[in-house]
Amino acid sequence: MLRKLLFATALVSVLGSGAASAETINMWVRSGIGDSFKEVVKAYNAAREDKVELTEVPFSELVQKYATAIAGGQAPDALSLDLIYTPAFAAAGQLEDMTDWAKSLTYFKSLSPSHVKLGTYEERIYGLPLLVETSIFAWNKGLYKQAGLDPEKAPTTWEEITANAEKIRALGDNTYGFYFSGGGCGGCAIFTFTPLVWGAGADILSEDGKTATLDTPQMRKAIDIYRNLVAKDTVPAGAASDNGVNFLSITNGKIGQQSLGAFAIGTLVTKHPEIDFGVALIPGVDGKPSSFAGGDNFVVTKGTPKLSAVKKFIEYTYSMEGQEIMAKYGSLPTRGDIADDVLKGLDPRLNVAKDAIAVAKTPYTLQFNDLINSANGPWATFINAAIFGNDVDGAFENAQSEMQSIIDAAQ
Amino acid sequence: MPRRGVFTFLPRLQQSEGDPMTMPAIASLPARKRRRRSSGWLGLAYIAPAIALVTVFFVLPVLFTLWMSLHRWPLLGAPRWIGLGNYLRMFDDARFLAALGFTTHYTVVVTIAIFAIAFPLAFFVEKQRPLVSIYRTVIFLPVVVGLASASLLWVWLANVDSGLLSPVLQMLGLTERRLNLLATFDTAFLTVIVMVVWKIAGFTMIILLTGLQAIPTELTEAARIDGARPWQRFRHLTLPLMRRTLALALILSITGSILAFDQFYIMTSGGPQNRMISVVYYIFNQSFVSFNLGYGAALSIALLVILVLISVVQLWLLKVGGERP
Repeated sequence: MLRKLLFATALVSVLGSGAASAETINMWVRSGIGDSFKEVVKAYNAAREDKVELTEVPFSELVQKYATAIAGGQAPDALSLDLIYTPAFAAAGQLEDMTDWAKSLTYFKSLSPSHVKLGTYEERIYGLPLLVETSIFAWNKGLYKQAGLDPEKAPTTWEEITANAEKIRALGDNTYGFYFSGGGCGGCAIFTFTPLVWGAGADILSEDGKTATLDTPQMRKAIDIYRNLVAKDTVPAGAASDNGVNFLSITNGKIGQQSLGAFAIGTLVTKHPEIDFGVALIPGVDGKPSSFAGGDNFVVTKGTPKLSAVKKFIEYTYSMEGQEIMAKYGSLPTRGDIADDVLKGLDPRLNVAKDAIAVAKTPYTLQFNDLINSANGPWATFINAAIFGNDVDGAFENAQSEMQSIIDAAQ
Repeated sequence: MPRRGVFTFLPRLQQSEGDPMTMPAIASLPARKRRRRSSGWLGLAYIAPAIALVTVFFVLPVLFTLWMSLHRWPLLGAPRWIGLGNYLRMFDDARFLAALGFTTHYTVVVTIAIFAIAFPLAFFVEKQRPLVSIYRTVIFLPVVVGLASASLLWVWLANVDSGLLSPVLQMLGLTERRLNLLATFDTAFLTVIVMVVWKIAGFTMIILLTGLQAIPTELTEAARIDGARPWQRFRHLTLPLMRRTLALALILSITGSILAFDQFYIMTSGGPQNRMISVVYYIFNQSFVSFNLGYGAALSIALLVILVLISVVQLWLLKVGGERP
């Protein structure tokens, strides 16, 4: 499979180099990236002499495949990399330093700050924003109406959300007030749950990423809020063992409220038009909202001969034209300065997700997989143990010490 | 008694050393020697494809794993020689020791459960009775389902909202409300055990059945005429005569259980709060989640050693290949 793939890309690059001055860039994207980027590439290939050859790689195997391709000298010119992996790849010395060029872009300062921060390693820039995704809070207006709540009023505190959840749960057997994937889905929890503590000024890692700071009053409060939602039976029993497969439970129409990603707005609008929903920022434990900025970074393989062609393509995706195509297919604008123009005429709820960029955070760590994303990592275990278990103190203690030991082992 | 078990090859090889059939007479030594030498080459040629396959797909990978295990070998970047560092790290690695503990626990429970089900089943399908071949087929059917597919099937069965088991338990009045079977360790562990027994017991049953059928009926009849009761016949006749079959079934069951991975990965993602991480699961995590290929390799070698030791001890305990009849 891999060899076939490499052979195909090699063949394409041979053919590409034969044709006059036009160049073909080989680029890998992870599966599940959605249509927005593919549409940009389609438009670019149709309008320009240079071509971009996309290869889709299963998202769970991207890191292994890229590493083996580098070892075999067959790496693609560029890669769309889940932004949390950028520091690890940059630290391994496999990416092209783009600092000077990036800073020469007139709109550099308005590029999604979280992406640029994650793309920066030891003061040099290796990754630039490609896809932007933020977490938001959504509620089902139909269920709000049935429960006698004002469907147009977004809840702004967790007390309000909890009260609403109870009223919606009172509607009957299979209708629930709240949902989250609480069974070993670290990625889901970092995306939808940490905004509760970020909004209140706390974080799970120190600024330099070298100390675990899990046990804070804010985190205790956030855990209490979720425990209370579970104790009051407003969350379906399946949440305790959902490893992320049912993350989009709100689409079944029986969930009153849920924290989601911006991509879910696209899914709900296009695939579940029967669900009328509202969107707001996720409140922190003290009411101040926050969000998780995720998505993909553009990275370039060190030493690629097609650097200038790659740069031209990146500039195209940052142009008004490129940004508009991406937004149309559900990805938020990466440039803050033209975001309002880009989103004009699209679903207004995308604006909430766009505004979230300004308050959004992303933890910076080289051990993101180990600490957060792994189903067996300390963070995923902590979420399950602290929210569904009987020993909250023990859960805090274990997770704090295991996170610290993973960080220390990697230094 | 028949000596055609799988494990008879060792004593056979030893016997052939002094076997009069292969002892050459002095007079015809040169001719025989030549023939023996050429037949030796011929034999080697016959097994060469097998040797080549074993070398390429087993010996070389194991040697390479051994080589990797002596390095700090990240997925990205250059490997660095650290000697026995990975092996020393194992002894302080609480998560590895926990995985080892869980794997032992699982192996003991599941092996007892499989034999407790498979033995009666083997007796049941051994006797000639109407429809016996249908029973055999039905009991054996789950074995031909892949373990991963079976796990997925049971994930659905155990799903609290759209599955089968939770609503049935509730309907029967056994639980007050729908119980999420995969949410707590005890119920999730029980679900996995039931799934594995359902899936594997048929295979163990077939192995035990071949052992049962190899016991000559005259012996059983003689014992019955001498007045041995059913339990006595089982204890002093059937069990001793099935020693080799039991050893084969036990080793297959224990080895399979120690290497368990799919069911935990698919059904519980390592279980509520990581309490179902088997050793292989931990090796997988170290290698492909944490990208410590070197440490993963060292753990694999350690597991290989453990498996060989356990198999040797089992063969010795069951005295397979020994002189006892």
